[in-house]
Amino acid sequence: MGLIEELFGKSPFGPLVEHTKKVHECVKLVRPLSQAFMKGDHDEIHRLQDEVSKLEYEADLIKHEIREQLPRRYFMPVDREELENFLRCQDKIADSVEDFAVILFIRKTEMHPDLKDDFAQFVEQILKVSNTLTDAAVELQTLAETSFGGAEATSVLDRIAGLGEQEWNADRMQRRLGRKIYSLEADLDPVTIMFYDKMLQALGHVANEAENTGDLLRAMILKG
Amino acid sequence: MGCLIIILPTAVLGLYMAWNIGANDVANSMGCAVGSKSISIKWAVIAAGICEFAGSVLVGAHVTDTVRKGIVDPMTIASLPGLGPAEAPALLLVGMAAALLAAAVWLNVATWMGMPVSTSHSIVGAVAGYGIIAAGWSAVHWGKMAMIVASWFLSPVVGGLLGYLLFKIISRLILGRERPVLAAIAVTPFIVFFSMAVVTLAIVYRGLKHLAGEGMEWLTGNGAFLVAAAVGLLAALVARVLIRRALRGKEDLPLASQLELVERVFAPLVVVASCSVAFSHGANDVANAVGPLAAIVDIAGSCTVKMQVNVPLWVLVLGGFGIVLGLATFGHRVMRTIGTRITQITPSRGVAAAIAATITVLVCTRLKLPVSTTHTLVGAVLGIGLARGLAAVNRQVTRKIFGSWVITVPAAAILAMVFFLLGRALFLESIRDALSQAARGAG
Repeated sequence: MGLIEELFGKSPFGPLVEHTKKVHECVKLVRPLSQAFMKGDHDEIHRLQDEVSKLEYEADLIKHEIREQLPRRYFMPVDREELENFLRCQDKIADSVEDFAVILFIRKTEMHPDLKDDFAQFVEQILKVSNTLTDAAVELQTLAETSFGGAEATSVLDRIAGLGEQEWNADRMQRRLGRKIYSLEADLDPVTIMFYDKMLQALGHVANEAENTGDLLRAMILKG
Repeated sequence: MGCLIIILPTAVLGLYMAWNIGANDVANSMGCAVGSKSISIKWAVIAAGICEFAGSVLVGAHVTDTVRKGIVDPMTIASLPGLGPAEAPALLLVGMAAALLAAAVWLNVATWMGMPVSTSHSIVGAVAGYGIIAAGWSAVHWGKMAMIVASWFLSPVVGGLLGYLLFKIISRLILGRERPVLAAIAVTPFIVFFSMAVVTLAIVYRGLKHLAGEGMEWLTGNGAFLVAAAVGLLAALVARVLIRRALRGKEDLPLASQLELVERVFAPLVVVASCSVAFSHGANDVANAVGPLAAIVDIAGSCTVKMQVNVPLWVLVLGGFGIVLGLATFGHRVMRTIGTRITQITPSRGVAAAIAATITVLVCTRLKLPVSTTHTLVGAVLGIGLARGLAAVNRQVTRKIFGSWVITVPAAAILAMVFFLLGRALFLESIRDALSQAARGAG
């Protein structure tokens, strides 16, 4: 093998964007899942849970593929450790979505009518956070083309800057929803409360991990 | 006729060396153009053949000098005490032939061991090796040797630095802009000017010495700068029109499509720049391969040892021919491998790497320093990697290159020593007789 061929490795950025998209496909199922849950359509939840689990598995495959093609000896325009953390963090988003789907699936629970509006709002906020992250992360390949500098980097960084506030809003909604749940504790049986709590936690994780992923993306862009 | 017995085998050896370069090395110089899909494999092979041939024939004579007399002074050997007439030239003949053979053998051994060895480096080590045996340690110009070895370190570093800077400029001025298409329309003509001027300078500046006859001297001295500027300007004007036509009205497309269009504008430029790498490669590496042959032909022809000789054109042509032969036999395959392996290089990166390598090798050729074009190109690519221009670059390659330097000089030198001792024991007398016969015949 000649010197010049040996010099070049495969670019990880294409597969990374693929991973981002796959994870986002996963997150997009949160809305139909919540709707099916509020309607009490358990068959639909079952079907969606299968789909989430399949997508999560596919994201995993991409993750492994990226890790395998990054032998230690290559140097990249981004810090390798940050890249791996980014990948791991992004993967956790899909994991959390899967957790959410599984929680809905394992127990047939009804949504308390007083909670529905707040819950729907909370779900929309989670999707908003994930959308913002995806918009920024799919630019990774273009960022590599522009060598992580210039106008493109600035615009992606701006988008990431919005993530923090959106996640903070999601947190607030989660708290409000939590308080509301406990204000209804006289009406609800403890297991249902536990179920609601778990469900909120899983959704909260989606937003949290999305924010963390955004932070790592930011670090990758800034670090030379 | 006795001399033909000496010239013929060495000519075959020289041809073999050149063939080796053509088969393995040449594809590297076109790597940036082929990798970025700016040229088809077939045309890359053809362009490489033409440029390498032109480079070795037009500019090759400069570097040949270093191999012939820069490392071991022929006069030191000629003035060795106790040598009969015709014995000094015979000694030199055997020495140069031994050096050539040693370099060829070492190249094969190294390739077999998977080491990225440069022909230039092997030749330099081999010549020094025979010099030590023929006339002792003091026969080797160690100052010059040190300079040459230093240039091996410096050329990839300088190539890397230039690659870094050139790519930073391209990315700062064009790729990093909000509307790369508009920036490309404004800036690319300047880049075309710079690139074409460098390429022209590479070819013209003292390069056409061989071909430029009477009344053409203006072309070869400082006039070359004017010629280069004129060619650059012309190319820039043409480029301006073409780029405008290709890019105008595209500034509202999404960024990714704009970048793709801009890269496409760089495609012809990376072809031209890669051709000039091939040209520089022909000028430097090929000339080194046939350097010993030039020395042998001169001695065998005149039967004396001279300082100033004209490198016969046919020797350089032989080198060029060997390259084309190598390309024709294996080049296609190697070129294809490179094309499929280095897919992450884009035309903008390719231009930066190729121009950086051209400038570095060109300056080294001018300074009569035999450097490796491939190693310089590797340096330039790493420089672009440092500028965050490439997704994944293998830095272990540098360790391999470094290792090949450390081992090549002693290995080629020792081989040359062995071959020289053998050659002196077996052939010195017959060669001496043949030479003195020829001298008598000429007298």
